[in-house]
Amino acid sequence: MLLLDYQNVLIQSVLTERFSGAPPVSIDQTVSDFDGVTFHISTPEAKTKIMVSIQIRCFQDLLRYGAEEVLNREYGPYVVPPEPGFDFSIVVDLENLPAEKEARDELVKNISLLKRNAMAAPFEQAYQEYYHLKAEAAKFTSEEAPQDVREGGEVKVIHYREEEAIYVKASHDSVTVIFSTIFREETDRVFGKVFIQEFVDARRRAIQNAPQVLFRNDPPLELQGVPGVKNTGTGGIGYVTFVLYPRHLTPQRMPDVISHIQTFRDYFHYHIKASKAYIHTRMRRRTADFLQVLRRARPDSEEKERKTASGRTFKVGS
Amino acid sequence: MANQTPAVVMDNGTGFSKLGFAGNDSPSFVFPTAIATKGPAGGSGGSGSGRPAVANKPSFLTGGAGPTGHLSAKRGTEDLDFFIGDEAINAASGPGYGLHYPIRHGQIENWDHMERFWSNSIFKYLRVEPEDHYFLLTEPPLNPPENRENTAEIFFESFNCAGLYIAVQAVLALAASWTSSKVTDRSLTGTVIDSGDGVTHVIPVAEGYVIGSSIKSIPIAGRDITYFVQSLLRDRGEPDSSLKTAQEIKEEYCYVCPDIVNEFAKYDRDRSRFLKHVMTQPGGRQVTVDVGYERFLAPEIFFNPEIYSSDFLTPLPVVVDGVIQSSPIDVRRGLYKNIVLSGGSTLYKDFGRRLQRDIKQLVDARIRQSELRSGGAKSGGLEVQVITHKRQRHGPWFGGSLLGQTPEFRSYCHTKAEYQEYGPGIVRRFALLGGPGGS
Repeated sequence: MLLLDYQNVLIQSVLTERFSGAPPVSIDQTVSDFDGVTFHISTPEAKTKIMVSIQIRCFQDLLRYGAEEVLNREYGPYVVPPEPGFDFSIVVDLENLPAEKEARDELVKNISLLKRNAMAAPFEQAYQEYYHLKAEAAKFTSEEAPQDVREGGEVKVIHYREEEAIYVKASHDSVTVIFSTIFREETDRVFGKVFIQEFVDARRRAIQNAPQVLFRNDPPLELQGVPGVKNTGTGGIGYVTFVLYPRHLTPQRMPDVISHIQTFRDYFHYHIKASKAYIHTRMRRRTADFLQVLRRARPDSEEKERKTASGRTFKVGS
Repeated sequence: MANQTPAVVMDNGTGFSKLGFAGNDSPSFVFPTAIATKGPAGGSGGSGSGRPAVANKPSFLTGGAGPTGHLSAKRGTEDLDFFIGDEAINAASGPGYGLHYPIRHGQIENWDHMERFWSNSIFKYLRVEPEDHYFLLTEPPLNPPENRENTAEIFFESFNCAGLYIAVQAVLALAASWTSSKVTDRSLTGTVIDSGDGVTHVIPVAEGYVIGSSIKSIPIAGRDITYFVQSLLRDRGEPDSSLKTAQEIKEEYCYVCPDIVNEFAKYDRDRSRFLKHVMTQPGGRQVTVDVGYERFLAPEIFFNPEIYSSDFLTPLPVVVDGVIQSSPIDVRRGLYKNIVLSGGSTLYKDFGRRLQRDIKQLVDARIRQSELRSGGAKSGGLEVQVITHKRQRHGPWFGGSLLGQTPEFRSYCHTKAEYQEYGPGIVRRFALLGGPGGS
């Protein structure tokens, strides 16, 4: 319950059911995912041909950073020209499925990771850049390295939401991922701050090999000169910086790290909401406690003297 | 922000929750409205109500006794240690988790659990950021306005959802019937027969407003049919008479017959009507169960309750007729004309036809009587129509999906800004979605 899944549960369940050999039916479902991503699962031609289309706000950004290669690598034989209104489509023919159950499950898993894979492209590219720069930097001592090796690669910008973006920058000893976050709600901002502080402190406390996390309200130095970065100075925007060290940058760890870091924002908001739910639970309980105290404090029925309009008095029996 | 995202439609019922996106023709997720939390079932019940009455003096400054006391001392994430839906049922069968149903009789009883249930269904299953989406929720008829306010508080304050609309399930069930070819005028006047697992409601709706004083419930619903099938199997001494077998037989073979006596005769003439049901027991052993008269007897308990129960004896058609007769006189014609079925227990073949015939007989008998009494006046007759349609099973959800995808839907919602301006009281009133003046 602590972490969110990376795959889309609905796509997974729909495809698992279809692939299990159930009689073909026509499907037409619109599915939403985090960050305004929309999927469309349909059977446009025949009941056995399932088309899965995805629409991502930042698809142009992703294309620039090599999304096409990544998607072709993952879904090669299934890729078809995108459905109108969507950015990327694949078609799976139920009559041409892999024979083994494991391979089918693998395919389901892979398709339900469509969003993750599309978003992974800039990160993978940053990884490659890092490997390259590291190899370059190894040829020099730190002083005499050429300018471009010391500065690292260009900053990749992914405008994955209307007002928020991810910035990825590779250098020869680390990869920096910066999230700009906006809270439309004051309460959320406070929760968020506490929450990020925990991230920042995590390294100090116990988890030595966690990536370094920094939080600030003005754009970090890495983002100087990047178009579209506004320094509002009002504190409305926060910048969360993750510095991935060589420990996280091994090729074996790459898929996991990319998945984790992609879901950061969703994870972050999920936990803010969960904390609120928890606090509400405690508030409700506290109110119930107070009410109980109040009820206990009510005096026993006391005798009151009341007067009628004409001034007569009588006892109210108890 | 939320400019093109589809609205989220959530229909949280007593037994099952139906979740999905507006515009789809079936809910994306249907799972039990159950939550499994750490600790025994029923222990940390409602808000403060389940507190154990221990001698621990309630020094409220240190936090109350009971589960909160130690929970507040922890810095971890124990509050996230729970499961919902099918996972909850699985988790509860193992040790350590207790199962809770936060909704009782259609109404939310435990807000703590419900809030966590919603949080998980939004983030884990639907995978949406609530700030980007409008939400359409459902409520049972006669839901207290305080419950609406509580719901709004959770949705606006915990989840910051972009906009919220709360609709009455019966009204949505009426909207779902618009898909039927028999419906021509798309009115929101009609009688909804909502039969789920636990209870059957007959709800008259006029112009989108529920006539609360005329609602009747019948304590016969899906579960009772299952029990009835089970008892028939037991009486015959079938090799397997578990509840699961009974349920499968009910769902696969049952139908409504026009006349029981004739049907018995037909079965005796034609042996091919007796079927066999093959049941795989947990051990993997296969058992064959005979299926006989229960095929038509089981749904018959709606029409002749005396064969099943001894305390409730009014047949469903009589109840429906009574409900309509107790409604205001100017809407009765509309109520007879548009009787809409909703819920899983109305799916039996010919259920609608039988109901229509029986109600029609009642109505015609009454008209004849009053014609006799009036001495010569002729009545123009009264149209009785029971609407059966394809979306009956998840009727309220589908109605919500239908209305949630209309372009006007958003203007009917209350937004977060409005909520903050007026407070929770704002959700006591909603403009009527899809009603006159709407689409």
